[in-house]
Amino acid sequence: MEVLRLVVTGPVGAGKSTFVRSISEIQVVDTDRQATDETAQLKQKTTVALDFGRLKFNKDMVLHIYGTPGQTRFDFMWDLLIHKADAYILLVPADRPAELRNARVISNFMQQRTKAPMIVGFTHMDCPGAWGAKDMAIALGYGRVDIKRPPIIRVDPTNKSSVAQATIKLVEQFSQNLMLKR
Amino acid sequence: MINSEKLGHILQNFVAGLSEIQGAAIVTPDGLSLSSALPPGMDEERVAAMSAAMLSLGERIGSELSRGSIERVLIEGEQGYSILMDCGQDALLLVLAHKSAKQGILQLEIKRIVAELKLIFN
Ligand SMILES: Nc1nc2c(ncn2[C@@H]2O[C@H](COP(=O)(O)OP(=O)(O)OP(=O)(O)O)[C@@H](O)[C@H]2O)c(=O)[nH]1
Ligand SMILES: [Mg+2]
Repeated sequence: MEVLRLVVTGPVGAGKSTFVRSISEIQVVDTDRQATDETAQLKQKTTVALDFGRLKFNKDMVLHIYGTPGQTRFDFMWDLLIHKADAYILLVPADRPAELRNARVISNFMQQRTKAPMIVGFTHMDCPGAWGAKDMAIALGYGRVDIKRPPIIRVDPTNKSSVAQATIKLVEQFSQNLMLKR
Repeated sequence: MINSEKLGHILQNFVAGLSEIQGAAIVTPDGLSLSSALPPGMDEERVAAMSAAMLSLGERIGSELSRGSIERVLIEGEQGYSILMDCGQDALLLVLAHKSAKQGILQLEIKRIVAELKLIFN
């Protein structure tokens, strides 16, 4: 049985923990604690170490899915988790453009440490004030459609089938990358 | 509101009390420093975040492996100890101690300060 390690990263409140909870078939390991920083204005709890979930993807493959914390003060966890990632998804909340900068910080941090393939998922697209996908892509520096741009999808972490689709996309991205390397 | 001056005072006293204690910090469960007395060169923000992450994992492992609620997480290194203590809902304590510290005395000192902190936080 092959184990594929997927990492779900992105800024605070992007929906990383929700994503892991939606896809896991075991009860997830979460390390959410009462938020006392700016996050408290957004939601009650925030991840301080990691989320962990598992999914039997098909008869030969099990997915181990790790969610990271969002705040930069936890960048040692980003580092710890990304080194073993086979692929990762960067979640970016479309309704809080201020997080775009943090999303780029995280993306750069990961790219300096791994060659693993990634995809980008825009969340909160259904929320009031959400930016359109095109504007989001431009703001993230993916305006030009060239080969170096990662696949960009919309995903609603609260919706199981949407999360399933995103996960399939991520596994595909991993497989394609593997073929290219061969 | 927590009196940070008082916290600082308690921490200073604690660190000064035993020469093997090299530093300490009081941190919120989501990893923000409330007060600290750390060795020079240690980044307070990083230390606070790491403390919260470590204790949360310890607590999670404790419950997952039926160890009950976790009182402390101890990391023993070549150079010394990092000890994390739960101080109730709103705070945790990190203690850095030199390898030469006698465990019994150290634990006693830690128990004392934790009792004091619990009074403040609960
Ligand atoms: N309407 C809507 N709500 C969403 C969407 N994605 C996530 N949410 C909600 O937004 C919140 C996200 O919270 P978490 O999953 O804890 O976010 P996180 O990324 O793990 O945050 P940190 O651990 O604090 O970094 C939850 O309340 C979700 O229900 C979305 O696409 N649409
Ligand atoms: Mg989270």
